[in-house]
Amino acid sequence: MATRRVWARAGMGLAVAGAVGLGLLAMPAGAGAAPELPPVSAEDLVASVIQSKDPGPLHGTVTLDNQLGLPAIPGVPQAANGSSTAQVWSDGAGKGRLSIPSSQGEKTIVDDGTTVWAWDSADRTVTKKAVGTDTHTPPEATATDPAAAAAKAVQDLRATSSVDVDGTATVAGRPAYELVLRPLPSERTLLREVRVAVDSEKRIPLQLTVLANGSSDPALQVGFTQLDFGAQDPALFAFTPPPGSTVTDAPARPGGAQQHEQGQEPTVVGDGWDTVVIATLPPADQQPAPGRDGAPDLSSLGKPVSGAWGSGREIDTAVATAIITDDGRVAAGAVPAQVLTEALAK
Amino acid sequence: MTAPAGQSAAAGERGAAGAAAAAPPAAAVRGVRKVFGKTVAVDGIDLEVPSGAVLGMLGPNGSGKTTLIRMLLGLTRPTEGSAELLGHPVPDATEQALPHVGALVEGPGFHPFLSGRENLRRVAATEPLLASAQIGDAVGTALERVGLSDAADRRFRGYSLGMKQRLGLAAALLVPRKLVVLDEPTNGLDPAGTRDVRRIVAELHAGGATVLVSSHLLAEVEATCTHVAVLQTGTLVAAGELSVLLEAGTGGLVVSTPDVDLALEALRGVGATAFAEGDGVVVADGGPPTPEVVALLVRAGVAVYEARRRRARLEELFARLTGEET
Amino acid sequence: MTASLVETGTTPHRGSAPMGRLLGAEMRWVLRRPRTLVMLGLFALVPILIAIGVVVADRGGNGLIGAIAGNGLVLPVVAMTLMLALLLPLAVGMAAADAIAGEAAHGTLRGLLLAPVGRGRLVVMKAFGVLVVTVVATLVVAVVGVVAGLVVVGGADGTLVTLSGTTLGFGEAMGRVGIAALWTVGQLAAVGAIALAISAFTEHPLVVLASVLGGLIVFGVLGAIPALDWLAPYLLTTGFSAGADVLRDPMSWGDIGGSTLRALCYIAIGGGITTSRMLTRDA
Repeated sequence: MATRRVWARAGMGLAVAGAVGLGLLAMPAGAGAAPELPPVSAEDLVASVIQSKDPGPLHGTVTLDNQLGLPAIPGVPQAANGSSTAQVWSDGAGKGRLSIPSSQGEKTIVDDGTTVWAWDSADRTVTKKAVGTDTHTPPEATATDPAAAAAKAVQDLRATSSVDVDGTATVAGRPAYELVLRPLPSERTLLREVRVAVDSEKRIPLQLTVLANGSSDPALQVGFTQLDFGAQDPALFAFTPPPGSTVTDAPARPGGAQQHEQGQEPTVVGDGWDTVVIATLPPADQQPAPGRDGAPDLSSLGKPVSGAWGSGREIDTAVATAIITDDGRVAAGAVPAQVLTEALAK
Repeated sequence: MTAPAGQSAAAGERGAAGAAAAAPPAAAVRGVRKVFGKTVAVDGIDLEVPSGAVLGMLGPNGSGKTTLIRMLLGLTRPTEGSAELLGHPVPDATEQALPHVGALVEGPGFHPFLSGRENLRRVAATEPLLASAQIGDAVGTALERVGLSDAADRRFRGYSLGMKQRLGLAAALLVPRKLVVLDEPTNGLDPAGTRDVRRIVAELHAGGATVLVSSHLLAEVEATCTHVAVLQTGTLVAAGELSVLLEAGTGGLVVSTPDVDLALEALRGVGATAFAEGDGVVVADGGPPTPEVVALLVRAGVAVYEARRRRARLEELFARLTGEET
Repeated sequence: MTASLVETGTTPHRGSAPMGRLLGAEMRWVLRRPRTLVMLGLFALVPILIAIGVVVADRGGNGLIGAIAGNGLVLPVVAMTLMLALLLPLAVGMAAADAIAGEAAHGTLRGLLLAPVGRGRLVVMKAFGVLVVTVVATLVVAVVGVVAGLVVVGGADGTLVTLSGTTLGFGEAMGRVGIAALWTVGQLAAVGAIALAISAFTEHPLVVLASVLGGLIVFGVLGAIPALDWLAPYLLTTGFSAGADVLRDPMSWGDIGGSTLRALCYIAIGGGITTSRMLTRDA
């Protein structure tokens, strides 16, 4: 009985070990102690980011954690709360690869230096677009003195915000400075602070975190959860359309700009954190025909509101508010609804 | 193992008496008690199964026979008390004793989709004492021994109750055993099957193995056993050698005579307890020895046709001990 | 007339039958069971039906099934992933139910303990039997999937077009199918370990089966409730969609590895409880 009892106890021990292991697996990774780094001023940090060289070949996993509370818009993917990940590769010389996996498929974008290939496994299509001989160096870096540019940028921000280097953090296993922007008390905004984690060695941003008032959890966090520097397999940056796929040339104008130009030029009301953008929607009969995904139908979203400015529907999220008026205007900003109605009334 | 098939149990009985005295018990329980919830299934039983004996465990349904056997085999842990199997404590070291123990407990357990032979091969594969090369032969022999050779390759699903019981018996006999435990072995068997079980028990006994048989069929126990244990509602009410128990339970000396009154007068004259019964008188134990009683009666002019000691049938003993009508 | 006389011709002092013989007997037993065979036969039909469906529908529709059209070697992976949701766990749950609860119900567990098969060995033997069913069921789906993919669906010249849009040769494609099969076996082994633990506590095989299927469904529901997303890392079913990652290029190991580690934890929990219970269980 003695040995049997010992083994029975060992069995229970194994079971407990399994349960503990499950707990360990479920624990969020990477939340280690803040690393010790030499202090740096906000200006110097921003300058070093602007000055930073291309980090060279890398492979990383980028995770977007979305708690914005966006309403689910039919036909618009990944707008709802949740986290999604993407893999990025760069050869450090202008070629790159981005893959966005989903449970059912994958979208892959490969820039092989001369052509950008966009693959969508859902319908097995390849869209290709020739790229010019764009240089990938940021224009600011060559245009102006980085230190001055940084000082200017920080100074501009300080008109409406406090800008500080607030401690350090470990992001994707790398020590990083935390640059924090907080709205000055005079700003009327839904946002509490915006944090940017900057790699202490490579001086590239690793993570962007947006925190809204009234919640301790980030409303939006996007950044690397895993990052390796070093030479990447060249095969990653080549793309051959697989057998059975449909290859099309991309339209001359990118889709994003298309919509933008259909309305009139948006007006901007206010500045800093309480900036409100007001745009005019194109009349219904001029709206583009439903595309592949179907044009998003916004008419049923939000709650009806009205005021001196007219009436419309208000859409609230954790970090921003938008009002679509019945006469076809859209006002949006990271502000409470009251600021929007004031802007609309102007 | 060499005993001829027809050998009577009584012949083996004499052989076992000597072995039982010398060797330590093949199995023993000491003060065992088993409680299931609020039900006391076994309540403090001490019992030894002498080595070489054929012990019949008698008792009505629910008297704790099966629970006692299960505790003895380490299938159930006693609430109190200890058990011992072939000298090994149970359940700590049951696994050292079990290879030498064949058992048929709570009916035969087999898989319906396999044939009798396949079922037996599966059991044989788990027998520690059986070399892999011997499995086929051992299975064949065991099937033959229980008279199942013809039905060996039929699915167990189609077996009659008796055939299932025979297969269970075959599994217990796959390997030569020191101890064979048979829980209600004649359940569902026809008279021929019952005879086969008797024959097998006798063979085992003649081969020197100890056998523990539980039954509620009293005739079975009386016919095959050297020792008896009688259980009632979880307690042991009688145990011992069959012959001793029978003697202890006798109803005295039965004298057949037409002169009943004369005989009673003569016997009472010498202070013996006697009463009329049937075609004669019965002289209770404790009086003068048998030869003196006969001499006394003859001297008194009583015509003595026959005088014999009455051996109570086990059935009567059983009925008396358990307080139940049979 | 001593007891030792009847001992002649046997191997003395061996406490248990050789492990290999026990495992062989267990394997024969699980593979001879009619319901196992029927289930394996039905499993073989699933990839074929998917293949026919894809061919008949011409365009397989959305999602993973759509990836099969003209790309047959995706079929085994998709079939395994789809069947991991319910059908494969059903087979494993059934095997685990029969392994202990079923044996107890038939009275054969008693026989095994009386042989004796040591209680520790019994757990090994039973776990092995469940693993055999798991491996065979997975292999049936994988192999029939490959054959049906090549014969019925065809296309892509014996190559596999990954979800990432790259093309893998036949050898590498088989490697990916192998990884998917191995990973599937790992996930199923976790289901089997838990099922075996339940099986060790009951004499009713149906209780085991109902618990396994009910548990999977409950896990699936819990995993789908956004407010309970903190629970997701604990749920075995969370990782069940990772199998499709073998169809990405370069292969994404993150979820495959994570779900395998989670499965190992479940195996430890299930195995530990089973061992502990079987050492003390009455039979």
